[in-house]
Amino acid sequence: MSTLQDAGRPGYRSIGIGSGGGMDFFAMKVAGYLCGNTNDGAVMEINFPAPEIFFEQDAIIGLAGADFSAAIDDEAIPSWRAIYIKRDSLLKFRRPVRGSKAYVAVQGGWNAERWLGSCSTHLKLGIGGHHGRSLQKDDRIGFEACPISFDKSKILPWQISEQELARIYKPSNINRCTRGPEYGLLNAAAAKNFTEQPFEITLQSDRMGYRLSGPSLSGLEPIELISSPVDAGTIQLLPNGQCIVLKADHQTAGGYPRIASVIRADIPKLAQAVPGNSIQFRLVGLAEAESELLAIEQVLQEIKTACYLNLKNYAARSGY
Amino acid sequence: MALLVSFENRIDESINAQVLALKRSFELQPFTGLVELVPAYASLAIFFDVGVVRKNYTKYQTAFEFVVEYSKRLIDGMDINTADRQNRTIVVPVLYNGEDLHFVAEHHHLPTDEIIRIHTSKVYRVFMTGFLPGFAYMGKLDERIATPRLAVPRTRVSAGAVGIAGFQTGIYPIASPGGWQLIGQTPVKIFDARKENPCLFKAGDRVQFVQITKHEFEKLNEY
Repeated sequence: MSTLQDAGRPGYRSIGIGSGGGMDFFAMKVAGYLCGNTNDGAVMEINFPAPEIFFEQDAIIGLAGADFSAAIDDEAIPSWRAIYIKRDSLLKFRRPVRGSKAYVAVQGGWNAERWLGSCSTHLKLGIGGHHGRSLQKDDRIGFEACPISFDKSKILPWQISEQELARIYKPSNINRCTRGPEYGLLNAAAAKNFTEQPFEITLQSDRMGYRLSGPSLSGLEPIELISSPVDAGTIQLLPNGQCIVLKADHQTAGGYPRIASVIRADIPKLAQAVPGNSIQFRLVGLAEAESELLAIEQVLQEIKTACYLNLKNYAARSGY
Repeated sequence: MALLVSFENRIDESINAQVLALKRSFELQPFTGLVELVPAYASLAIFFDVGVVRKNYTKYQTAFEFVVEYSKRLIDGMDINTADRQNRTIVVPVLYNGEDLHFVAEHHHLPTDEIIRIHTSKVYRVFMTGFLPGFAYMGKLDERIATPRLAVPRTRVSAGAVGIAGFQTGIYPIASPGGWQLIGQTPVKIFDARKENPCLFKAGDRVQFVQITKHEFEKLNEY
């Protein structure tokens, strides 16, 4: 499934409309920045099996997130790069190598329907993005005319450093989290299992949440909870002792105990996990949760500026 | 990030009034970096932008620490009565023809007319919105008609269906899977994504259900 997404629509949770938006917000933003965008326009979020995208006009795209062995007219292109695509070329994703969500941004952003301030696709309401639904065969999506033109497709020379990516995505199996409002309900054995045992991401995982399979945490004292707010990253404990981690399209309120919350800085990493992957939770304090988030925001800011200037200089050097 | 302020964990008008009073205090005196306020039955989530808070309130070690301090100050100065005075009453017409009306009646050993009379005899409070876009949790129901959820949820409940679950009542804003006992159908569109205010209800509103005939339903039908 592939959809158009952006940074989401905060501000409407109190009427039951979640923020939504790209699951791996880091890769999604970087995809846009790579092709010189400075605002958070609509980006294609692609799951494997992925679409083949035929470009009817020249384009500069940013490719980030999962490595799906992308190719243009059967010539391999790397991820985390900006690419100039000559019109009448075909962008393909051949096989899933690493990660679960690839992002394709285009210079100027994909044309998309904006609703409540965001182009993110709200699948349940069928609104926003591309006709409020996932992309289908033969869909045509417009974008602004490309500012440069060459004879053939080419990989543009700037890239995101491995070091920066490693900082965000590695170690890929460790997800840091803060204690949730009902963490105290776990007994000692359950609390120990929560941070010491691995949890597997099951096939029942989608844009609303990941169901995990792991040690039963049913040492919970019985308590009747009434519906209360939840967020992306909230780890809820189901009555059977298993956990669910809420993702971008989660419901705004829930009645299950919230034992912990994956810190926002580790949401990109978690978003790239695929069913069958094993993850582990590590408790951290709020100060670390905040400083890690600020660090990511700083990196994004730097990437945005650097890519914008790179594209500008490149176009100038090429005579545009 | 968000701070959750929890009140006593029960479904109670006075507790929910405190939640909404605190929400109102934040609306009147927002701090820089406040993103949104999400009220529930007995808790209020305060979403904030860590970077903006840190930049604006530099005396604090963390943004979280600042929001906690700020919330404490508002809680101390909060006026419960102002929040509740401004609430409107919304009249909702219902055709009581729900698939589970007979089950609910049998469950309580009452005729269906009595279920309808009891459901329409009280003005309900909208405690919160959640579960689905525009889904308002209302209550509390009279004990005589409070009924547990279906053991197996339906895969599809139509938009406008009026249901009950425990001491709560509510209306499905869009077609969705759902486990509430369905007692009727409203012809009124309670959620319309294309409107500037998509959602008819907000927390703190009062709701009065009124029985209508099939003929009236057809005249009023907005779906």
